[in-house]
Amino acid sequence: MKHASLVLLIGLASLGLSACGSESQEPVEQIVIREPGAEAPAAQNVTAAESGDLVAAGKAAFAVCSACHSVEPGAASGIGPNLNGVVGRAAGSLDSFGYSGAMTGSDVSWDADELDAFLANPSAKVPGTTMVAGAVTDADKRAAIIAYLSSLSQ
Amino acid sequence: MSEGADTKPPRSKAAKWTRRGFIGAGALAGGALIVGVAVRSGNPVGKLKPIVAGGEGEALVNSWVKIGADNLVTAIVPHCEMGQGANSTIAQMLADEMDVNWENVRVMDAPADGNYVSQHAARLFVGPGTLPDKPNAVSFMEPTYDGLFTQVAKLASAYITGGSSSVRSTGQNGMRIAGAAAREMLVAAAAQEWGVPAAEITTENATLTHAKSGKSALYSAMAAPASEQDLPRAPKIKDISEFKLMGTPAPRKDIPVKVDGTAMFGIDGGPDGSDLRYAAIKACPVVGSQVASIETSAAQAMGGVLQILNMGDFVAVIADSYWQAQQALGAIETTYTKTEIDDLDSAQMFANFASALDEAGDAGGNSKADYGDAAGAFADAANKVEAEYQVPYLAHATMEPMNCTAWVRDGKCDIWTGTQVPLMSRDGAAEGAGLDADDVTMHSVFLGGGFGRRLTPEYTNQAARLAKAAGYPIKMIWSREEDTAQDFYRPADISRFTGGLDAEGKVVCWNNVHCTEDEPAEAPLVEFYDIANVSVRTSEVEHPLRIGAWRSVAHSQHGFFVESFVDELAHAAGKDPFEFRRSLLANSPRHLKVLEGVAKMANWGGALPEGHGRGIAIVRSFNSIVAEIAEVDMTGDKPRVTKVFCCVDAGFAMNPDGLKAQMESGIIYGLSAAMHNEITIKNGAVEQSNFHDYHMMRMDDAPEIAVEIINGAPNNLGGAGEPGLPPAAPALANAVFAATGKRIRSLPIAKHFS
Amino acid sequence: MVSIRVNGKPQEIDADPAMPILWVVREKLAMTGTKFGCGIAQCGACTVHLDGQPIRSCSTPISAAEGKAITTIEGIAADDGTLTNVQQAWISEQVPQCGYCQSGQIMSATALLRETPQPTDEQINAYMKGNVCRCGMYGRIRQAIKVAAGMEPASGEAPAEQASVEEAAT
Repeated sequence: MKHASLVLLIGLASLGLSACGSESQEPVEQIVIREPGAEAPAAQNVTAAESGDLVAAGKAAFAVCSACHSVEPGAASGIGPNLNGVVGRAAGSLDSFGYSGAMTGSDVSWDADELDAFLANPSAKVPGTTMVAGAVTDADKRAAIIAYLSSLSQ
Repeated sequence: MSEGADTKPPRSKAAKWTRRGFIGAGALAGGALIVGVAVRSGNPVGKLKPIVAGGEGEALVNSWVKIGADNLVTAIVPHCEMGQGANSTIAQMLADEMDVNWENVRVMDAPADGNYVSQHAARLFVGPGTLPDKPNAVSFMEPTYDGLFTQVAKLASAYITGGSSSVRSTGQNGMRIAGAAAREMLVAAAAQEWGVPAAEITTENATLTHAKSGKSALYSAMAAPASEQDLPRAPKIKDISEFKLMGTPAPRKDIPVKVDGTAMFGIDGGPDGSDLRYAAIKACPVVGSQVASIETSAAQAMGGVLQILNMGDFVAVIADSYWQAQQALGAIETTYTKTEIDDLDSAQMFANFASALDEAGDAGGNSKADYGDAAGAFADAANKVEAEYQVPYLAHATMEPMNCTAWVRDGKCDIWTGTQVPLMSRDGAAEGAGLDADDVTMHSVFLGGGFGRRLTPEYTNQAARLAKAAGYPIKMIWSREEDTAQDFYRPADISRFTGGLDAEGKVVCWNNVHCTEDEPAEAPLVEFYDIANVSVRTSEVEHPLRIGAWRSVAHSQHGFFVESFVDELAHAAGKDPFEFRRSLLANSPRHLKVLEGVAKMANWGGALPEGHGRGIAIVRSFNSIVAEIAEVDMTGDKPRVTKVFCCVDAGFAMNPDGLKAQMESGIIYGLSAAMHNEITIKNGAVEQSNFHDYHMMRMDDAPEIAVEIINGAPNNLGGAGEPGLPPAAPALANAVFAATGKRIRSLPIAKHFS
Repeated sequence: MVSIRVNGKPQEIDADPAMPILWVVREKLAMTGTKFGCGIAQCGACTVHLDGQPIRSCSTPISAAEGKAITTIEGIAADDGTLTNVQQAWISEQVPQCGYCQSGQIMSATALLRETPQPTDEQINAYMKGNVCRCGMYGRIRQAIKVAAGMEPASGEAPAEQASVEEAAT
């Protein structure tokens, strides 16, 4: 038993080392675009897409929102307001949540189009909103999330 | 793995070890003193001084202790601080032996240098219970053992932080002796200088006092002459009745820097100046595949991009900012070479595991324990119980994703990274940079979580390779997605049991077979339970993912398997699960006290609201015994753990608050996994990517936790970082059964309620 | 160029407007107390305040901060270095273990107490659930929030725990 254990420790060590080692330590391909400090070209953007059953897809996509937003009826708000019943609700109207002045003064009523614009670029739709973490660049994902939010009501 | 099992580490050097050689001491420039417990024969202080005590007026008392001109005593700890608080506790042990008040103590990480290899850690990491327990620290320094383990440590590039071993090995068997030796040398120096008997000198608050003559001196004033003293052959360590700091909740030394943003983690490290650039990487998603091709035209045009590299086993982008590197990496289209597991998914993998167990049958496979006649007793049993359990792969998901900053230039390499094995990381960096290990400098940083993940630091090698190719310093950061998909996972496993009860409901036999060799080997064993006929076997399988040590290692699986099956036996016998365990533990008095302790805490048997249930479990791991009771509320659409009671006997709690914190931490880590976590495979690759599909327990679903400590064996310390975890999953699953009658035989629990 | 104030100091940032605040603060301003954990606003390690409101800086572009004030963990203590009630409670309750998430936890807790000076457990849960602590110190975080709020006394350097000492039985 002792020997087996000794070997296991050494095995652990070699596991770590072999994990380090590919056959070649050198790059297979090295594309140098420029050196540090040299003038940089302008940036471009990339996006991705996916589809499926809209509400289910929306529920899945909403997972990233749930760190800040609760959706259960009557549940306490977190960093962001509870979104149960948000579709059709006036912006900044949940009494129990401390909205930014920008949101309460926005005069927006949340229908699908308004939500879509807001999710695409929160700061553009409601300048001064503190929900700047939530931008969803993918239009299909936005549609799915809105479908999911619409499916939630009291 | 069995070949090489007969290769005994050579003992020739070990035979030369003496206690005298074990302690080293010397003076530093400016008259400070350094004392240390040497890990090699000979006095290493001369070599270490310039590394650890370059400051004006600093002295190394031994290689683990230095005293500054300001009378501050620094413990130089050969372990990494990854949250477990052990470095602070080890310093507490040193300070107590030295009679230094806590305010005068500083903690410093030992440098990644072979002279700090901790064979004490290696000893326990290798296999608790495989060596005779030698509670007396000084007699523990048997030359043969230490020589043996120094060899092992060298082979493994030890300086390991793992195995819940820091306090109970390095602290108990190294740092306390270093402290006691330092104190004796200071006393001897004062006796000589004052011309009084050493026995008349007392020490307190880092001050030497001779009451009769009224003389006194700060330690700092005696540091230089102390370093000239003969080294104590057997320094006297304190009896428990003399403890002042040991056993108290001294505040952790590392906490103040962790509340104001100044703590430096690996991700924060790097060279001064603005030369640093950033790398994002994506490794091949299927183990064994290589990059076949990359399409980079879109990425090349993106902002901030400096280089795109195909490293064979991963693709990297180096850019002016990490975010830019990450954006460009996402725009690269990569194809990979085919592997044999490209079509594998989790269902097929578990089917393969089940086949391996079918093959082993009732008696085949590799025997791990075999006493009595399990098969015979089962045939005769009045009541036969069978069950099969399954657990998934698990990622570590440390809060700080893997990262490493490397700078390779002029035949040297500098590394900033969080690692549980600095010397192994150094070797990996050296390999990547094409240099000797001695040319690599490891910079000490905090670890943003370890949990075993940072025992396998392949990321150090990756960063060194990139830095060498780039020619300028590189901070490589893994995305959370990379961190989730490229872990060394807690092995998935299936475990099958047959158990027999006699007519009175007493367990007469226990037969278990499971996949995967266990580390530590004791994890699936049940020798503390009073069962006469036992067979425990493994049937080895090939894992399609990289596997590694995950907090509590094999105890994380077997705690769930064993304690679930004991619960099933209890219910089959028609007995209360607590009373049933009590009778099984009749010959294990320490277990029994812990079990009874937790039952009392939780008011076991007391009324609970409708739809609530209690579950109990007890696991011994890393030489600590921990029992837990979980209370679960099943009235919602998914289980909610409301409370966890925990009773722990870790021998002696050197820092009770630290031990409690580790229990709390292990419980949440264990419950997170039991409730939510599962790494699954599709097309040979890991499916999960980030915290939205690999859920963590959060503030709103974390239970209240109560911890009580029993100091059951003051000279036989147990670990703290891991033992709180293994009972959590079975206590929860058993509570779900108590509340609903639904037996959870596979984890995570949440998938049974979605 | 984006004009922002960070911890009271005006800064002109030359960066891609889409670059998240997290990386601007860490790389361009060399303030590393704010941590990267997930990159998708799931773990809260990167929480900072934008005009006093907690945001996840890993997912908030620097353009959203134009003309606004960012406060990071480095900026909450008083000018003389005196720690806030929240920071002091984090020490008295010995909250951090690895410490990596704690900048974010402290920034969230600070905002919570500003909005709700005497939070209930439910309010604490709801507000803090976006901050993951992999070391599992949720109980201590909750306690420290109550200490910072003055709802509970701080744990002092209490006398040694009363644990029973018995001889080894095995």
